[in-house]
Amino acid sequence: MTSPLLELDGVTKRFGRVVIAEDLSLAVGTGDTVGIVGPNGAGKTSLFGLISGDLAPGGGEVRFAGRTVTKLDAAARCRLGIGRTYQVPRPFGDMTVFENLLVAAQQGGGLRRRASYTAAAAALERAGISGQANVPAERLGLLQRKRLELARALATQPTLLLLDEVAGGLTDPEVAQLVEIVRGVNAEGTAVIWIEHVVRALTPVVSRLICLTSGKFVGDGDPATVLADPAVREVFLGSEVTAALAGGAPEAPAAGPPDGAAGGERSEP
Amino acid sequence: MSLITETTARPAGKLRVTRSRRNVAWTGAGALIVVVVLALLPYIVYSGTTSIIVQAFIVLTLASMWNLLAGYAGLVSVGQQVFVGLGAYFVLILAIHGTSPFAALPVAVIACAVAALPLWWLVSRLRSGYFAIATWVLAATVMLIIERFSSIGGGTGMPLPGLSGLSSVLLTAYTYWAGLAVTVVALATMYLLLRGRLGLVLTAIRDDEVAARSSGARVGLARLLVFVVAGAGCGAAGAVLAISQLQVQPGAVFSVQWTAEMAFATIIGGLGTIEGPIIGTAVYMVLQQTLASYNAWYLIILGLVAIIIALWSRRGLWGLVDEHLHFRLFPVGYWLWPEDVSRPSRLLSRLRRSGA
Repeated sequence: MTSPLLELDGVTKRFGRVVIAEDLSLAVGTGDTVGIVGPNGAGKTSLFGLISGDLAPGGGEVRFAGRTVTKLDAAARCRLGIGRTYQVPRPFGDMTVFENLLVAAQQGGGLRRRASYTAAAAALERAGISGQANVPAERLGLLQRKRLELARALATQPTLLLLDEVAGGLTDPEVAQLVEIVRGVNAEGTAVIWIEHVVRALTPVVSRLICLTSGKFVGDGDPATVLADPAVREVFLGSEVTAALAGGAPEAPAAGPPDGAAGGERSEP
Repeated sequence: MSLITETTARPAGKLRVTRSRRNVAWTGAGALIVVVVLALLPYIVYSGTTSIIVQAFIVLTLASMWNLLAGYAGLVSVGQQVFVGLGAYFVLILAIHGTSPFAALPVAVIACAVAALPLWWLVSRLRSGYFAIATWVLAATVMLIIERFSSIGGGTGMPLPGLSGLSSVLLTAYTYWAGLAVTVVALATMYLLLRGRLGLVLTAIRDDEVAARSSGARVGLARLLVFVVAGAGCGAAGAVLAISQLQVQPGAVFSVQWTAEMAFATIIGGLGTIEGPIIGTAVYMVLQQTLASYNAWYLIILGLVAIIIALWSRRGLWGLVDEHLHFRLFPVGYWLWPEDVSRPSRLLSRLRRSGA
């Protein structure tokens, strides 16, 4: 198939007068790596919602793997191969880490017993939380919750992985580990779209960077070019992107306040 | 019965997954013994005792179904009495047409499962409080409709025909066995459902519905299945009720009190565990039998017990057992064994000591 893995065609979404996505068009090919940056409330997480099926678009079309998925719900899209993580991890608290992954492998991955055990164990190992396999998910700390979030998305056997600020709140060595994991996943052919405030986590992985603000794309292309684009720089105006360009010195906003607008998107008016 | 551990091996490594950290073969054996002893009870005790136990069977079946709905699927129904009533009426209708009530019982169960489909269609889009109220309204509506038909007793109900040929001793024993069979099948069905893929999905949905959806879980389908199973189970309890009461009265079988009983037994026993309703039913029956003659005080004490347990142990009486002993009679979880362990029994004791 020559068509791209994921295609957004004029996707629009509004909550009342607030524009979340305005006529967004995007094509992502198999195995591509795309980073998405943008200020708080730019509509990044909503964009993921529109791709994963958590949000229904007001207009436009979403196509995945040669099918129109605009009308499909999140579960159906997940089974087609879209795996996603949430910015604020959403573990199944009463279940063990291993059981969390089994749900994903059995439902999203469509795997049966043994195959699902193997897939879940592989995701555990990949995310580096094998030691916590039998621990109830609610007892995990933030770092491990983030890893579980990633592992659960991987256990659904995605061909497109949506990462929503998985590096937020992590230390530099932790970010480096995470980058290695994502690179490994991508090396096996899984396309990755990664929303991140920590731009230095993105740049070693992604080959393409998109800047989103107020529901519109203002930059799209080679990361260095996009970051150098005056329009993009204007959007950030002295925030971490400029700092990252200056040489990736440790900057405060990296671990800064959570992206409040994006985190609460489901309950926005 | 595959109550014992289920082992699997990855061809390359030594991936080992069991359904419990401990070997639970003895639980299966224990359950079997309990069922056999219960089955022999009509030969040993007086009919007064068995009829109390039949009540307990009805409450236990109802509580287990309510637990499946509220504790696993997150569906707090206040209208489950609709299925109790429908089960009773299906038995009555079949009995009027000459079927033995005992033969009518399984048919009534299937009919209740079928009836659950249109009822689900009516309430499926509602959540939490709205769902609860809607189910209650639905139950009242179904009762009002049934009361319109004078051929099945109208508003006053009618005695159940087809049982006059049996001696009272045989009738009591048959009723008891029917109640036992319904309870065992209901508990076994629930256990097997929760042990399978559906159990994991339901727990995931209960914990975080949004994440469950984006992990591929068919939330609507899982809830529909639970609603149908719970409808069939409550219908079975209603059928047993009709047979044990020898009559069907709309006000009695469609009483919201049934839902109060199932909720009480489930909540004091422990919501979201298979063991909870069993323990809850036992407590409920003991309270009922010892306090029934005190009228108002009976209800006051029942209420106090519920409040105390809700405050003291939010996960019910079984929650206390589980918290302190980490113990499940009916394990539905998955335990992944570390790769370098060849003898689980030793590791088990080590794990237990380290409290991992």
